[in-house]
Amino acid sequence: MADEPFRTRGSKLETPNSAIVVQDLWYSYGGEVTALRGIDLEIQDGDYVAVIGQNGSGKTTLVKHFNGLLKPARGRVLVKGLDSRTCSGLRDTADLTVGQLAQTVGYVFQNPDHQIFCDTTREELAFGPRNLGLPEAEVRGRVEEALARFDLKEYADRPPAVLGYGLRRKIGVAAVYAMRPRIFILDEPTTGLDWRSTMELMDLIGEMHRRGHTILLVTHDMKLVAAFSQKSLVLRDGQVLAYDETRTVFKHSEVLRDTQIEPPQITQLAKRMVPFGMPDDVLSVEEFYAAYCRLGG
Amino acid sequence: MSFSFDLYVQRRSWLHAVDPRVKLAFVFLGTLLMLAFKNLFVMLLSLVVTHLLIFSAGVPGHKVKWVWKTMLPINILIPTLWVIFYPEGPTVLFQFWFLKVTALSILRGVSLALRLDAIAFICFTWLFTTDQASLVRSLVKLGLPFEWGLVLAIGLRYIPTFYGLYTIVSEAQQARALDLTRGNFFTRVRSYLPILIAMLISALRTSEQLARAMESRALGLPGIQRTCLRDIRFRPADYAYTALLIAIFSFLLTLRFQFGLGTHPLYLF
Repeated sequence: MADEPFRTRGSKLETPNSAIVVQDLWYSYGGEVTALRGIDLEIQDGDYVAVIGQNGSGKTTLVKHFNGLLKPARGRVLVKGLDSRTCSGLRDTADLTVGQLAQTVGYVFQNPDHQIFCDTTREELAFGPRNLGLPEAEVRGRVEEALARFDLKEYADRPPAVLGYGLRRKIGVAAVYAMRPRIFILDEPTTGLDWRSTMELMDLIGEMHRRGHTILLVTHDMKLVAAFSQKSLVLRDGQVLAYDETRTVFKHSEVLRDTQIEPPQITQLAKRMVPFGMPDDVLSVEEFYAAYCRLGG
Repeated sequence: MSFSFDLYVQRRSWLHAVDPRVKLAFVFLGTLLMLAFKNLFVMLLSLVVTHLLIFSAGVPGHKVKWVWKTMLPINILIPTLWVIFYPEGPTVLFQFWFLKVTALSILRGVSLALRLDAIAFICFTWLFTTDQASLVRSLVKLGLPFEWGLVLAIGLRYIPTFYGLYTIVSEAQQARALDLTRGNFFTRVRSYLPILIAMLISALRTSEQLARAMESRALGLPGIQRTCLRDIRFRPADYAYTALLIAIFSFLLTLRFQFGLGTHPLYLF
């Protein structure tokens, strides 16, 4: 891998800091379409990782292994669980049900309508914690905290199914938040949201990250990746093309070209201005402005 | 990957080219014949014929395997229940307490299961070789109002969509620790409610959007006679197939009711 501009593999070994370890993961649908081809990966506790790649590259297939919705055809997926059996606290997902893993790994689906079914938002938020068998007082506490954090108190007693899409999306995230998993997987959470709702949601996710949660964000929005995620995992044809700091990944945009991934325009503009002294790893307008001022100054 | 509910197999075979109305007649008359006969060998013969038709149309083996797999529970259940509840005939093979297993009851049970297999394969001969548009077009040509045909087409079109929706909704609820395997039968049935309600909401939303999308493309505009991009027409070969079908049907029915062919599960006469 010496000639590669960035890392393509995480450590195969579990460390005390590992949240998820993937070892030689293969998966195929019905034995016909191979979706994942020998993935090795380590996601550390408290990481904020964007999972990116073109449609059909295996993003959703990969993250569905982390909460046990899919089981490896070959290889292993280890997740830090509540009931640890190894010194690092990792457990093989093959031994656990989706329900057991839900305590540790929260999965927010792309379409909120795929989970909303209760009469009120409050009940919707209580569904997951009740499934975990928590005492009713604890469930109520978690629901009220989630309502407050996601600014949903106003809608607590209204049927979530009739609320607007942005609110339904927020309720979908809050419902998983109320289960308090250590690891959050968000599958294209901003699809169909306007910029303001997107920023609100991303700020909430950012806050969860600051509180110590591990975040995995599956998205096609490179502006969000640049703005929020520390690391980027790039998949192509079921293999890891790159897994490194987002800054490093976007710096080598030529490698990403055949994955249909384009870094944000500001990053591309900065790269064109490298001959004039602009750094080649700019991720945001603020960074660009600061660098430009330094050049001008 | 789940089995596609669109059973149609795209090929350019002679059977695909047959007018869907002829194939519909084959299904109707074939089913009537199967109901008229009770003989094991007649059922086996009809299964051989339908398999030959299916394979001659280039339908892959895994589709045929899927039909047999789907029919397997019926093939086990029917002979078993028949043997238990309808002991008949003089040859008793085995007797224990209330259970009396006779040769005739086994034959009848197997014959009935094979009859259902035969009817299933007759229907699948039609479905494997007729695309949805032609299927609906043929029904409309036979007098079904266009709107009903459209409803049928949409219904068929959305079966795989709703199957996919069920999978996703089920995964979304399980990701919130919904356990579908815990408890007794009634608890387990109840635990499916979050899935069913979420599916219902999504289905209602989809149907509303679909209705609006069709309306915005001028469906139901009054005073307009709809035209058809791809019409179906009877070719000379279709007339020949229809004549052959009616001749075989009449011949077999005469044998059955005039000469008593195939009334016994084992003996032809």
